[in-house]
Amino acid sequence: MLNKIYDWVDERLDITPIWRDIADHEVPEHVNPAHHFSAFVYCFGGLTFFVTVIQILSGMFLTMYYVPDIENAWNSVYYLQNEVAFGEIVRGMHHWGASLVIVMMFLHTLRVFFTGSYKKPRELNWMVGVGIFGIMLGLGFTGYLLPWDMKALFATKVGIEIAASVPFIGGAIKTLLAGDEVILGAQTLTRFFAIHVFFLPAALFGLLAAHFILIRRQGISGPL
Amino acid sequence: MHRGKGLKFVGDSRVLHPSSRKKKGPKDYSEYPGKTEAFWPDFLLKEWLIGSVFLVGYLILTVSHPAPLERQADPTDTAYTALPDWYFLFLYQLLKYEFASGPYNIIGAIIIPGIAFMALLLVPFLDTSKERRPFKRPLPTGFMLLAIASMIFLTWESVVNVDWDAKRAAGEIREEVAVEFDENSEGYQLYSTSSCIGCHGNAFEGGLGPTLVGTGLSAEEIYDIAVNGVGTMPAGTYQGTDEELQKLSEFISTLEPAE
Amino acid sequence: MSNNKVTRRQFLSYTLTGVGGFMAAGMLMPMVRFAIDPVLQKKDGADFVLTDLPVADITEEPTRVDFNFEQIDAWYSSEVTSTAWVYRDGDTIVALSPICKHLGCTVGWATDSAHPNRFFCACHAGLYEKNGKNVPGTPPRGPLDMYEVRESADGLLELGPVVPNTLV
Repeated sequence: MLNKIYDWVDERLDITPIWRDIADHEVPEHVNPAHHFSAFVYCFGGLTFFVTVIQILSGMFLTMYYVPDIENAWNSVYYLQNEVAFGEIVRGMHHWGASLVIVMMFLHTLRVFFTGSYKKPRELNWMVGVGIFGIMLGLGFTGYLLPWDMKALFATKVGIEIAASVPFIGGAIKTLLAGDEVILGAQTLTRFFAIHVFFLPAALFGLLAAHFILIRRQGISGPL
Repeated sequence: MHRGKGLKFVGDSRVLHPSSRKKKGPKDYSEYPGKTEAFWPDFLLKEWLIGSVFLVGYLILTVSHPAPLERQADPTDTAYTALPDWYFLFLYQLLKYEFASGPYNIIGAIIIPGIAFMALLLVPFLDTSKERRPFKRPLPTGFMLLAIASMIFLTWESVVNVDWDAKRAAGEIREEVAVEFDENSEGYQLYSTSSCIGCHGNAFEGGLGPTLVGTGLSAEEIYDIAVNGVGTMPAGTYQGTDEELQKLSEFISTLEPAE
Repeated sequence: MSNNKVTRRQFLSYTLTGVGGFMAAGMLMPMVRFAIDPVLQKKDGADFVLTDLPVADITEEPTRVDFNFEQIDAWYSSEVTSTAWVYRDGDTIVALSPICKHLGCTVGWATDSAHPNRFFCACHAGLYEKNGKNVPGTPPRGPLDMYEVRESADGLLELGPVVPNTLV
């Protein structure tokens, strides 16, 4: 039955080569930790992606309870953490994942850097990767505010003041981020929520797709 | 390698005939020495085994260390000192130095991070040699090691002097301790004109110091603490006369949470 | 090669599926349990709410009783006003929920002049008899729900949780 459905689709869309290309491509020995233990450094990219998947899933589930509103944000986080079954774990996964994704991405970046894997022809993929790094930092910065507790508010104040110190356009950047020229409050929270949940993830998906397509087209860099 | 089922799309000019499609994708790695293996299922199994170990560690971390939640944001609390998330600490610390703050703030906030980020982004065009081994290209390796070392140093400097206990206390979720007291009473007059109010709050709710409501201490004990200090509270903070302190201690010992 | 032997590739595929399943379960189990928590959460029986209507004043004519109670909705608590249609049936007090069993509009007693002794729902002209039984041929799919009732110590009506109609 499943085979027939597959054949029906395949006959029309010729999907077999797509997954064959992914499934059957040969992985060289020098990146395989089963052959050389030191090749575990090649796992950092995959682990970054794994944590990213966990972040996306746990974030989706957290929004079932979370409200981006200054009166209720903290209360909803307190509720989901203390009253909902496994709430502590789901929020914990998102909290620790946010740090782990930075750690793994940092290690992945260092691996690519020290193996010189950014060199021709892989310059573009390196730049896409640096873009992903920037987006991840943005996700960390915007996500930090959302529980609306003391450290969230005051850390964001500091962050926004740094942005405001840009010459000429600093004030405009601050207003754009905070939603108000002076107050860091209701409009800041909704903006950060929108950026954290819609804008940056959309950009992240685009760059991740580019990152993976480029890897498939160029292959992994050879042994040193 | 066999690719696809080779189905033909006869008479449809929109879809290329499979045989006319050139083989895309990277070269096989047969030119590299050693063994290669298929991505699915051989290599992916090893990756996922590592992923499983990673996941178990991750879940253990999550279960053993619940995500912290401080009390609800209160923009009026000026006693609270902010620290950003740990991966921004180095930037935060950079802005404390004289050459990167005050009139030179732009250097610490924009120029140094901007140069570092642009250098990272444009590394492939700055380091264009064919050499890939880190030891054979000392400049890129050296700069990267320098950057890592300075980030570690700055991060360390930013937290080495933080009083984590005080910070935890400042952020702790507090029970709302409502207390009924007479603002015109002699005790409150003494309290509000003394330095106590700075740390223990306008309504005894606490701040840097703990709440004074329902301490369970006698007037003598409170008197003693005010004179000799306790914990992080220094000795001799009360500036008034002994007689006033006696009255204040008695007043505080009567504070009980309202129902 | 005989069919009942597992090839190396098949073995690896099965192991891979197992490991993948383990990872998916480890990730998703807490999240799914988190998401379905409202379904599994035990609701302790709702408390009785005191109204300001003395039981002695209740007549055989259904009267509208509004009552307030504090509703806790997760992290949000609010004062909610609810309504019951209350009448006396012999020794028992009946308090019917005004929520129409068709699509959840609010019914009123004798609000349609053509049916003076019926509960009437203006949305789709649903009709109920005095005991809450839905009149056949009108849209509702069942009788009106009723509140559990009891009398407080000083003779006022108390309303409890909503239960299915037991009079019909």
